[in-house]
Amino acid sequence: MIKALGYFIEIIRGILITARHFVVNLFFHILKVLGIKTKRKGAVTIQYPEQKKEIVSRHRSLHRLMTRPDGKPRCVACMLCVTVCPSECIYVEAAEDPDPEIQKYPAKFIIDLGRCCFCGFCVEACPEDAIRMDTGNVHFAQYSQQDLIYDLDKLIG
Amino acid sequence: MIKIFIDKDPVEVEEGTTVLKAAERAGIHIPHLCYHPAFPPEGSCRMCLVEIEGFPKLELACSTVVKKDMKISTKSERVVEARKAVLEFLLAEHPLDCPICDKAGDCKLQDYYDEYGLFESQFKEVKEKREKKLKIGKTLILDQERCILCTRCVRFLREVTETQELGVFHRGVHSSVNIYDGATVVNNYAGNLAEICPVGAITDEDFRFKTRSWFLEKRESICPLCSRGCNILIEYHPGFARFEVPKKVYRIKARENPEVNGFWICDRGRYGYSYLEEGRADQIILNKIDGENVLTWENISEYLGEKIKRLYSAKKATGIALILHTWLSNEELFLVHKIFKEDLKVEKIFFADPPQIEADGYLLTSDPSPNIRGALEIGFDIKTVDLDALADGTDFLLAFGPFLSGLFSLGDLKEALDKIKGKVLFSYYSNELNSLFDIVIPVALIAEKAGSLTNVDGIVQSFQPALEPPGESLPEWKVLADLGKKLGIDSKFFEKFTSPDAILGEMGKKITFFQEKE
Repeated sequence: MIKALGYFIEIIRGILITARHFVVNLFFHILKVLGIKTKRKGAVTIQYPEQKKEIVSRHRSLHRLMTRPDGKPRCVACMLCVTVCPSECIYVEAAEDPDPEIQKYPAKFIIDLGRCCFCGFCVEACPEDAIRMDTGNVHFAQYSQQDLIYDLDKLIG
Repeated sequence: MIKIFIDKDPVEVEEGTTVLKAAERAGIHIPHLCYHPAFPPEGSCRMCLVEIEGFPKLELACSTVVKKDMKISTKSERVVEARKAVLEFLLAEHPLDCPICDKAGDCKLQDYYDEYGLFESQFKEVKEKREKKLKIGKTLILDQERCILCTRCVRFLREVTETQELGVFHRGVHSSVNIYDGATVVNNYAGNLAEICPVGAITDEDFRFKTRSWFLEKRESICPLCSRGCNILIEYHPGFARFEVPKKVYRIKARENPEVNGFWICDRGRYGYSYLEEGRADQIILNKIDGENVLTWENISEYLGEKIKRLYSAKKATGIALILHTWLSNEELFLVHKIFKEDLKVEKIFFADPPQIEADGYLLTSDPSPNIRGALEIGFDIKTVDLDALADGTDFLLAFGPFLSGLFSLGDLKEALDKIKGKVLFSYYSNELNSLFDIVIPVALIAEKAGSLTNVDGIVQSFQPALEPPGESLPEWKVLADLGKKLGIDSKFFEKFTSPDAILGEMGKKITFFQEKE
């Protein structure tokens, strides 16, 4: 009986904490809307999409493929990203480059973003720093799965 | 036999053997790059250094002959230190372009660095610039920067093919492997060079940039492209299911067998793997059939059994004709012999094999089919197809193999086969030949089934399935065992044949040649 009473006390305490936060946030938010105390953070809500949260530099966003100074892809189609990818969403097909110093370049480089889990392993595995996830683009939702399959042109562009 | 001590463990070895071989037999791997069991030791890579008690310096394991009570240590501090130093010197001139090197994944230099190296390079000097992409043969590309001058390729061409197309030119840091004045490596064993190169200096254009070696699955098999029966490894990519990239065979490698092919295979066997995948038949085709619609092998075997039984009981078994080929395994030929020659007493048994090729005097023989010797030992008389004799008075034809189209023109075949009422073909491929038969049943190639083959020297070699047969394809031994059962003349005999091993066991009892040798 006494034990059950303990539970009730805790539940009531929890409700009071929530209620306090609600009232305090509401109060300061009203002040902010009225133009008083604008510097103080009111409600924690970010007014997306008018207001966007800043993306930190380490954030893993949409992939991009780096290029050499002459515009060719830096990728040499070593397929380490294909090997390491846990969601099996990368497909690379190599081709022969006439330049003996380059030799190998990707004829096809496809990332299926519908499968990608944004772990960043491909970036870490790349020996040529050819793939990065630093575009800051996180808005690439599409209506069809097919549109989420990015090829070489889209990834370099 | 003498007693030596490797890493303090006593090992009994033969007198006259080398330290490296003795250690290998004791299960201790001594790293080596230039040493290859097919050639005498060269001692140029210096990777196999070991410490031997009583010797002031470290010795080469590949060329030092064991002596009684020799105390060898392969893991002592001095040895580990020396190995590291040797690797550092080898890598000082190595370009480290593993990302674009086809050898990456099965490169010995890579493996050894991972196992014994793991140092930061101390060399600040610029690496020597050499030829990166030199075409030295029909399918071979030499990268002199990657070469570590182990001279395995030079020795292979000197000792195995005796053609000597490659040599080491210049001296010191400038030495490099090269061809003599534009004379490229032209011989039927050139493909082996890419395989024995311990690094990626010689790579194969046939495999170049197609995939990476660590994606490949390796399966043991036997090469069916000539009667030598070389032991091979089939390497295939299981495919990327997500991108609808199917399973594909990427290369064939030699598998060591001192009795048959040593360490090598010929280029015909190495590059001729398109037969495994191109134009394969994968479903049963019915062109013309009397009676009900039959589409599974179960129904077809019933139908065939019934048909042959009817001919047999009407004493018309002479109206049955058979076309065989020697890509069939020993077991399959034995079943054919039992069903058609012994039980049904069929007389018209012909063979349709691919046309003869030119032998090269080493491994490649002139017969492009793997089991001619087996067919002879089982008791067949190898008669090539004669279209007139075949069509004359034949009611029912069972043909195996796709090789008929290589022997006769389609028009001639059509004319002869039109005279025969019932025709069934068991084929690997889907081609025009199939349209001439009533029923075409896809069958499995040697790489896709189990069984055994008898090579040109009479060596019986068993093999296991390396690949999946496509679609509805069946191994022929199963087809024949089913047919034997359905015929009902001696069905008890066929009941125990649930695997090729069981058939081979039975063959051993009946034919002395196939008795298991002690």
